[in-house]
Amino acid sequence: MGQSWIRDEFGEEVAELAERYRSKEVSRRSFLKNLGLLGLGATSAATILAACTDGAENTTTTAAGGGGGDTSTTAAGGNGDMEPVAGGTLREGYNRDISKHDPITTNWYDPAFFAIYEAIVSNNPDGETVPQFASDWSVSDDGLTYTFQVPSGKTSHSGGVIDAEAVAEFYRTIQAESFIAGLAAPVDTYEADGDSVIMRMQNAWVGALGPHKTGYWRIINIATWRELGGIDVDSTFGTETADGTGPFTHEEWVPGSHVLVNRWDDYPGSNTPFFENEGPAHLDAIRWTVITEAGQRATQIENGDIDTLIGPAPQDISRLESNPDLTVIRHPEWSGYHLSMNRDYDEFFGDVLTRQGLSHSLDRQGMVDAILAGNGAPTFGPFPTTDRYYEPAVQDFNQFDVDLANQKLDEAGWVMGSDGVRERDGVRFEFEYLVEDESVQRAVAEAVAQQFSVVGAVANLNVVDRAVAFEEQSGEGRDAAAMSLFFWLWPIPIDVLTLFGGSGTIPVPNFSHAVEPRIDAAIEAWQGAATEEEGQAAQSEFQLAWAELLPFMPIMNQNATFVHHNRVHGWQPFVWNLYPYYNDTWIDA
Amino acid sequence: MTAEREAEARRVSWEQQLAVFEEEQHVPPSRRMVMRMRHNKLLLLGSAIGILVLAAGILGPWLSGADYTAQSFQDTHLPPLSEGHLLGTDGLGRDLAIRTFVGIRVSLIVAAGVTALALVAGLVLGMMAGYFHGWSDKLIGGIVDFVWGFPLILVAVLFAGGLGEGLFPVILAVGLVNTAAIARVVRGEVLSLSEREFIEAAHAGGYSNFRIMWRHIFPNILAPALVLASYYVAVAIIAEAALSFIGLGAQPPLPSLGQMVADGRNFLRQNHWESTIPGISLVLLVLSVSLIGDGLRDVFDPRLRHEAKGVDDK
Repeated sequence: MGQSWIRDEFGEEVAELAERYRSKEVSRRSFLKNLGLLGLGATSAATILAACTDGAENTTTTAAGGGGGDTSTTAAGGNGDMEPVAGGTLREGYNRDISKHDPITTNWYDPAFFAIYEAIVSNNPDGETVPQFASDWSVSDDGLTYTFQVPSGKTSHSGGVIDAEAVAEFYRTIQAESFIAGLAAPVDTYEADGDSVIMRMQNAWVGALGPHKTGYWRIINIATWRELGGIDVDSTFGTETADGTGPFTHEEWVPGSHVLVNRWDDYPGSNTPFFENEGPAHLDAIRWTVITEAGQRATQIENGDIDTLIGPAPQDISRLESNPDLTVIRHPEWSGYHLSMNRDYDEFFGDVLTRQGLSHSLDRQGMVDAILAGNGAPTFGPFPTTDRYYEPAVQDFNQFDVDLANQKLDEAGWVMGSDGVRERDGVRFEFEYLVEDESVQRAVAEAVAQQFSVVGAVANLNVVDRAVAFEEQSGEGRDAAAMSLFFWLWPIPIDVLTLFGGSGTIPVPNFSHAVEPRIDAAIEAWQGAATEEEGQAAQSEFQLAWAELLPFMPIMNQNATFVHHNRVHGWQPFVWNLYPYYNDTWIDA
Repeated sequence: MTAEREAEARRVSWEQQLAVFEEEQHVPPSRRMVMRMRHNKLLLLGSAIGILVLAAGILGPWLSGADYTAQSFQDTHLPPLSEGHLLGTDGLGRDLAIRTFVGIRVSLIVAAGVTALALVAGLVLGMMAGYFHGWSDKLIGGIVDFVWGFPLILVAVLFAGGLGEGLFPVILAVGLVNTAAIARVVRGEVLSLSEREFIEAAHAGGYSNFRIMWRHIFPNILAPALVLASYYVAVAIIAEAALSFIGLGAQPPLPSLGQMVADGRNFLRQNHWESTIPGISLVLLVLSVSLIGDGLRDVFDPRLRHEAKGVDDK
């Protein structure tokens, strides 16, 4: 945008200052302060600021192409021509409370897992599998054997030897102890063979590496884990200490407050090819601060209290994007808001016409615009568009159409009463709708309940805290809530949704208690898919079955949003990983 | 010169008070009370604000005829004075005016429930403790002191944990704490009354304890108890708002002023009215109730003023 009008309107001095601001020679604060010193009022200053911000390349949006893995990822805040500076503590705001730093027993993994631990392989910015702890990997022609090369001389933070046998033993422990082991069900055995870890499959499976890239399969020193208590709930592994192979060591872990990790000076460097730094981390330490109050997150990074931020509130994103001191990175997230409909409340949700009728009453795009400030997308099937196997044909289902919704409910036998509430066989269409007390989830629930009321269904909201919500979702039969809203966030959707949608996981996490043979068959086909084509076919069928039969009702998914101050470099979240890595991160003094 | 002016002002003030006093001597007690109210500026101001807020709470939803749950995703975050939305809209495009009116109504319902519960229970317990002395006094006094020893919010959270979220646990929790406050004061009054000659005469006349309490003590403590209860209406409104703010009060979609302030706080930088409008409504509501309570206290029983403030610091 030309600056001549600024010169004409406000004079040479202001134009020069604006130019210096655009070229980032002066900070925003200094810029505004100097405008004030030059006698400009707030309105004029805001006009000039907006003009200077317009077109500033401080926003990076990465988009994963649906279906083909056609991902365009731009690494904002990269090192460029600048030489990394060692030292400093990165202060990162985190939008959730922290979890136990134990891959085997945690129910969730936090960004610190990407600093303390390494996976055997990981994703690069193009979505390709690359080595991380392993120096190389290969798969046999029949797809039944995976071989991971483990470099010799590797140790954990405590000095324990992490060789192929230690890794294989760790994986065997996951198979035996982890609640999430079912994600890698087609894996048969893990064995060590010299410097190699051999993973043998029950059947060739195109999804075999997926679980191994998550936090739950990140490598730890299994000897330390056992010594500190292992699977016992009182184990101090992941709370008082942790023992991984990543570039940072566990220092402090305070739920509700913060996590602190320090640089591991003996870190031998990563095998990950897209990392620029081949030695110990540049940063002295990283401190994650828990900021559960959504409105506070943006304020803290604007005020300089934190350097990077995961998950600002949707309504603050446009403001952050207009701040030239900050870079906002957005991409579609592997996540989703879904409604469970407990089939044991057969009178309400037992028939597919009723479920479809309710689903057609929802204006998903409207909710994305209103609740997520447009920072997301409606979902008509189980997966967000992010997924490489996304099936676009799911959009033929569940579109907003109140007339169709009423028609389906009429066909299902629900008769509209004089009070605007439907009845069927003497049963009033009124049920409990459980929701966790979190601002976005509550807003979604209120919006959904109101739209149901338009077609004659009364959803009585029961807002409870997280622990109670999970407990009440997880009950057997009619002990579980009739309907509940939940939010899932996961880097490998197909796998987690097999847990949610499969008949083998009733009542948890199949909160709907749904038994759908067509979906079970699709899951089986997926876990037996030896090639990408077979995988795609199984996944397409899974999504179409889900969209039509509605074991859960999809609503929307939100974008993953990350923000960093421009003094932070080498912090590069991208769509294929849940969090950024910290090997290359440094702070410009 | 200044001293002379001050002296003159004092003289005029004294003469005015004297005139009111003399005027009161020639009118019946009920009219005298009305005259005192008429001269109490705090009471008048509180009543004026209270009438406005009450009208909004009671008549607002009826007059507007709108549905407080109706949403429009195309009309979210509209500012006040937008077309069709006097006070703007919230994040789901719901009309803030109707939701504020209903929120005021919810506050009033909770306040009425809490006050009724606290007044009845406080009077009964306070009278029993003050009249019977002995173990009943110790037992009731102990319970009152125990309840009084916990912050109101903590008691409410415990109740919500046991009974679930919603207005009923809020009414019970706040009512329980306010019961302790009223029982404490009533007990003191009854102890004092018990020493009076007319009570001794009633005992000498062989009247039953129930009759003495009902016919002789109760009428003498009702006025101060009512005054005290009016004061605790404000406490109840604030407590309900605080509990709704943290998600333990009214459940969505039923609006509550505290819940609306909480919902709007994430939009303070962009659309402050979503928090400030219910916030201001809450301030006006509490202010009016407090002023009315203070005014009534002055009119009916000035002695209680300081005592009530002391216990209300809790």
